Amino acid sequence: MRDGEAVETVAPPLARGKPAARRRHRPRSYWTLRIGVAVLVFYALVAVLSVFWTPYDPLTPGIGDGYDAPSLAFPLGTDRLGADMLSRLMAGARYDLGIAAVAVAIALTVGTTIGVLSGYFGGTLDTVVMRGVEIFQAFPGLLFAMLVVQAVGAGLVNVILVLSFVGIPDYLRLARAEIQAKKSWQYAEAARLAGNLPWRVAFRHLLPNSIGPLLAFTSINAAFAALVTASLGFLGLGLGPNVPEWGNMIARGQDGIMTGQWWVSFFPGLAILGLTGALYLLGDALADLTDPRRRRQ
Amino acid sequence: MPPLGKMILRRVLWVFPVAFGVVTMTFFMARVLNGDPTELYSPPEATDELRAQIRARLGLADPLPIQFVHYLRDLLRFDLGISFTTQQSVASDLWDRLPATLELGLAGLLLGIVVGIPLGVVAAVHRERWPDFLVRGTTLSGMALPQFWVGLVLISIFFVDLQVLPGPVGRLPIGVAAPPRITGFLLVDTLLAGDFSLWWQAVRQLALPALTLGFSTAAPIARVTRSAMAEALQSDYVRTAIAMGHSKRVVWFRYSLRNALLPVVTLIGGIAGHIFAGAVLLESIFAWPGLGQYALQAIERSDFAALQGFVIYASLLYVLAFLAVDLLYMFIDPRVRAS
Repeated sequence: MRDGEAVETVAPPLARGKPAARRRHRPRSYWTLRIGVAVLVFYALVAVLSVFWTPYDPLTPGIGDGYDAPSLAFPLGTDRLGADMLSRLMAGARYDLGIAAVAVAIALTVGTTIGVLSGYFGGTLDTVVMRGVEIFQAFPGLLFAMLVVQAVGAGLVNVILVLSFVGIPDYLRLARAEIQAKKSWQYAEAARLAGNLPWRVAFRHLLPNSIGPLLAFTSINAAFAALVTASLGFLGLGLGPNVPEWGNMIARGQDGIMTGQWWVSFFPGLAILGLTGALYLLGDALADLTDPRRRRQ
Repeated sequence: MPPLGKMILRRVLWVFPVAFGVVTMTFFMARVLNGDPTELYSPPEATDELRAQIRARLGLADPLPIQFVHYLRDLLRFDLGISFTTQQSVASDLWDRLPATLELGLAGLLLGIVVGIPLGVVAAVHRERWPDFLVRGTTLSGMALPQFWVGLVLISIFFVDLQVLPGPVGRLPIGVAAPPRITGFLLVDTLLAGDFSLWWQAVRQLALPALTLGFSTAAPIARVTRSAMAEALQSDYVRTAIAMGHSKRVVWFRYSLRNALLPVVTLIGGIAGHIFAGAVLLESIFAWPGLGQYALQAIERSDFAALQGFVIYASLLYVLAFLAVDLLYMFIDPRVRAS
């Protein structure tokens, strides 16, 4: 076994595979990152464009006859009431993208703040917060959202607030775990010895070093938020009935499916797939890039 | 270092404060948020007197803390109250609907495991080659697509276009009587009744919702299996196993997969907790008479008792699923026992 060639023949897959995988791995991460970002930018552009221009007015029924199959005049067909699907889909980007973005931003801010405090200071605060989180997370998330929206009423602001509230515990736990792991590291000690106040050490020294995992999770959580938005819309619990939110649109097309008019429900689903898929890709790539353990593989 | 028995005991006892918290939260959420359902149950021409009577009958006349105490007292006797809508005890409502949800959930979970784990293994073994990309693309869409949409598309393909599977009308075709309830699982009860054609009809009704559920269950299972397996394949013990001349099959299945299964078990526990609580949207698309639909109805009609009963069932299930995972961990992972 001291012969180098013998070793080579016994374990060729690892000997050859590993460096090659390492060489190929980082560029792959970049291209999933690129695709994710590109798709999201495209959606954002469509959302902005839809404010100024759509082929037809998305809220006006009766432009077509109702259930027009996809054609040159209506590339994605029209829905039961004869509203143009492409226009509605474009306008929908505003709602689905906007709701997810705002809800996630709120959840990230609030959850991270509480999580950092809880993780850094520990003690009673930490115990109370974590028990509360555990109880809240045992409550089914979608059901919670449905219940609250049903109670306080449909509407953009309510949906956003509920979604952000459902998201807070996850960010809280993640931020807390990150800070807890890092607060006894040497650079934290050094920052303390240099005379920084505790909150400064926590938020200016420790938190920036945890931003990678938090951002990766944010991306994946945004996909979840978009799915819940669509689910609420589908149940008719989200926004008003005529709002061109994608889940809403799928619900409106549900009857058409039974009679063969598949396009009314089909295209909004693809739109959701693009958004959530891009967010998942981006989240994966960010996790790869920021987690040294995954990067090494 | 506490011994294993004490650790298990402590973990099991922890369920009670969490359960109490959930029960409390459920009660107050249902009352405070969901307003006063008296209106829903009063005729429009009702006098104030009649309304007061209805309120009393709904158990809403007492102040909130008293209602809460009554509620806890009933709960300790496993009395979940009477549903306003069905006029039956919530416990028996839940019991009636439980098998539908369990049957669908088990079918979906089984599909997810049977498809997801092999896909994950294939992807990990062929890392960064076309099988890997294929699996990752499929699982990405499995996670990114709304379940209800997948269900609708499957209905559109298999029922409307190809006409090979029945439409979304529940567990049996319309007008077909269910066999006498023994286990509540139609696939079992029909066989016990010796009615094979009925069994086949039940299987066909189950196919599309189970497929939908299986698709969205297999996706995360495959992804987690893939990454855990890939990590195991790079480990020192696998290198040693390869160096010792073990066949690929032994290295993959006996060494890598076994070690990779830990995170997969956690994931499956979490998924099971969700699935058996009833997939609200899936059940409503397929008119599946399970717990998810019951919960949706309860929310739409402000049916406190029904909603509370369901939430308590669902969250306890969730807590128990994680308890089971934690306990399982103590047995299959020696490191947990040691720490």
